[in-house]
Amino acid sequence: MTEHPTEARLAKLRGGQPPQGYTARMIAALASNPGCARRSILDAAGVDKRRLAAYTGYPVPFGRSPFDITRGNSFEAQVKAEGAAQLLTLLRDKLSLDISEAGYTNLDEVGGSDGFPLRHERTRRLLTATPRQRGTMFDHPLLRFPVGGRYAYLEPDLVAFRHDDTFHVVEIKSFPVIDGQADPARVSAAAIQSAVYVLALRDLVGQVAEVRHEIILITPENFASRPVATSIDVRKQLGVLRRQLARLDRVEDLAAALPLSLTFDVDLDDKGVPHRSPGDLIGALTTVDASYAPECLATCEMCYFCRDEADGATGALGKSVREDLGGIEYVGRALQFARGEVPVPAEMAEAAAILRRAAVLRGEVLQAAV
Amino acid sequence: MDEPVDSVEALEDRISALRAAVRRAVLDGDADRARTLRRDLRHAEQDWDSALDAHAAKAEAGPREPQPDLDAGDESSSDWEPRGESRGGTLLPLREQVHEALSLLQVPAAPRLIATVHEAFFATSFPTARLTSLRRDEERSFKTAPFARPYYICAALAADFLSPSRGLLAISTWPMERRIIGSLSPRVDFLIAAVNVAQAIEQIPEPVPAARALLARFAANVRGSSSANSAGRPAGRIAPQSVIRAAQAELAVHQDEDRAARAEAARRAREQLDGVEQLFGAASFRRAARPLDAEDDSAAGARSPDNRAAGNRAADNEAGGHGQAIAGSGK
Repeated sequence: MTEHPTEARLAKLRGGQPPQGYTARMIAALASNPGCARRSILDAAGVDKRRLAAYTGYPVPFGRSPFDITRGNSFEAQVKAEGAAQLLTLLRDKLSLDISEAGYTNLDEVGGSDGFPLRHERTRRLLTATPRQRGTMFDHPLLRFPVGGRYAYLEPDLVAFRHDDTFHVVEIKSFPVIDGQADPARVSAAAIQSAVYVLALRDLVGQVAEVRHEIILITPENFASRPVATSIDVRKQLGVLRRQLARLDRVEDLAAALPLSLTFDVDLDDKGVPHRSPGDLIGALTTVDASYAPECLATCEMCYFCRDEADGATGALGKSVREDLGGIEYVGRALQFARGEVPVPAEMAEAAAILRRAAVLRGEVLQAAV
Repeated sequence: MDEPVDSVEALEDRISALRAAVRRAVLDGDADRARTLRRDLRHAEQDWDSALDAHAAKAEAGPREPQPDLDAGDESSSDWEPRGESRGGTLLPLREQVHEALSLLQVPAAPRLIATVHEAFFATSFPTARLTSLRRDEERSFKTAPFARPYYICAALAADFLSPSRGLLAISTWPMERRIIGSLSPRVDFLIAAVNVAQAIEQIPEPVPAARALLARFAANVRGSSSANSAGRPAGRIAPQSVIRAAQAELAVHQDEDRAARAEAARRAREQLDGVEQLFGAASFRRAARPLDAEDDSAAGARSPDNRAAGNRAADNEAGGHGQAIAGSGK
């Protein structure tokens, strides 16, 4: 399947490493910054961004801790144990399932195989079967979703089907809901991730059934590991995602615009030691434009590299600053305007006036403070 | 952990080899492999402790004491129970403990539940990690000498493709229908297990806390059983009868559909699978179904590709032709 020219192109960009698949997290991050060609192309090629960032001298301190991953896995295993007994109790309550709706199908593997195409095909068959033959709980169905002209495989924790022809995305997270409150950042991350699943599921089932826009979040309650279910309306996230994904530049066009010799291969030898010089790699990276914003710090492995590169640009101070200073690209230039050191072009007069006024105000405040 | 652990020296070699491997994995940043290796290392160190204890005991007992028969013919490594002994618990081999727990449940179960049930009713527990190799050991033993043992700890079979159902253990003497897992079977089996656990607890005059906790776990997820309990009973004391009644009421709803699905799959299994496969599941059709990504699947190549049924099933499923990552036009 690597015969397609774009596919071959992306394989060359990636170098000899196995590709990293798209995840819902990656799609959500991509959708939060659709103008970033660097991230689009790195993700599409499946480059290991973490390794790349570390090798170019900008390692990222974030990522999930092994403790968090273990906790997440064991919580998921707990609610899914014995035919998802705990989960069924919660879903019966939340979705008012009929007592006869208790089917549970594990789609982690199909006949001993965990190959993606096979699992996706099986998922498609089971989820689009006639309602009477459809089960109720589908554990790890494998969905497929077009992103920037390529397909990404996605794996929701669970999809529940109710006999009134509705599907519900169920997301299991191990962060606690304490006294009805949870970490807002993690909830919104879970919501946007689930929104990706909702879109992918709608793509799969088409007209056969409805996919509800309320997703069900399963989390531990308070300080124990007893699970609790919460409904989250992801309509807003769905809207944002749809809009942003439509804006995503198509990977083919991006790839076609790059020089043919470009590659992000770190050139590992058989012992896993990279041989390419970091400087050379940085040169390759700067060929592709990035669009750095402070939000990248929470979602992208390349964030420190791009931040360093964007040093001095107004965009690096955040989207609102960039918009306020419409047209002025660099901080140095903005300061010059503020001090009135250079003549102001007509199209920047408005921004320059605001800057001068801000400078005057600042001067007054500082004088008053002395 | 596969071969019988014979000597302290061999274990020492293995421990130092594992340490080196862990170091390499950590330096490579391969967290998954490091974790697996660390676990193996822990097991090896525990085995080393036990082996040393065994040597010490032998030395005390005198040279004429018969040696424990560790290498006996088709006995698998899991039959040897150094940790069980040192804990002062049961002297039964692991497979027999699993058999005890499964016989009580009467349905295929996951290692964690098996260990919990054994702790609740037979007073000893075992690390569930040790059960992962048990099924493989049993399969090896069966292949060496079929039906040489009165029973084998074997697999439950997924109804759709008759492959081993992930993570479930069963007993070979059960009827095939019971070992088939259809869509409703996990729920049905959960309810049957609830009934059997509740009945077992009724027989015990003073159940241990672990047993009561187990019953509470079942009761919490069987509709109607915990509410019946809330009237006038102290917390943590769930009436087994209320669980039994509630579970049987729900069982009545699912049982016919589940039974039909299981019977149909069991018939297919008897027709299509040979002796080993009937117990341990149809060999996966990875090879047949995954020609595209065969390169990352060299492990599967070691498995027997000789499955008559696999060909049909793979052909049945035309998914093999799709690309893993299809570039190009939208859909």
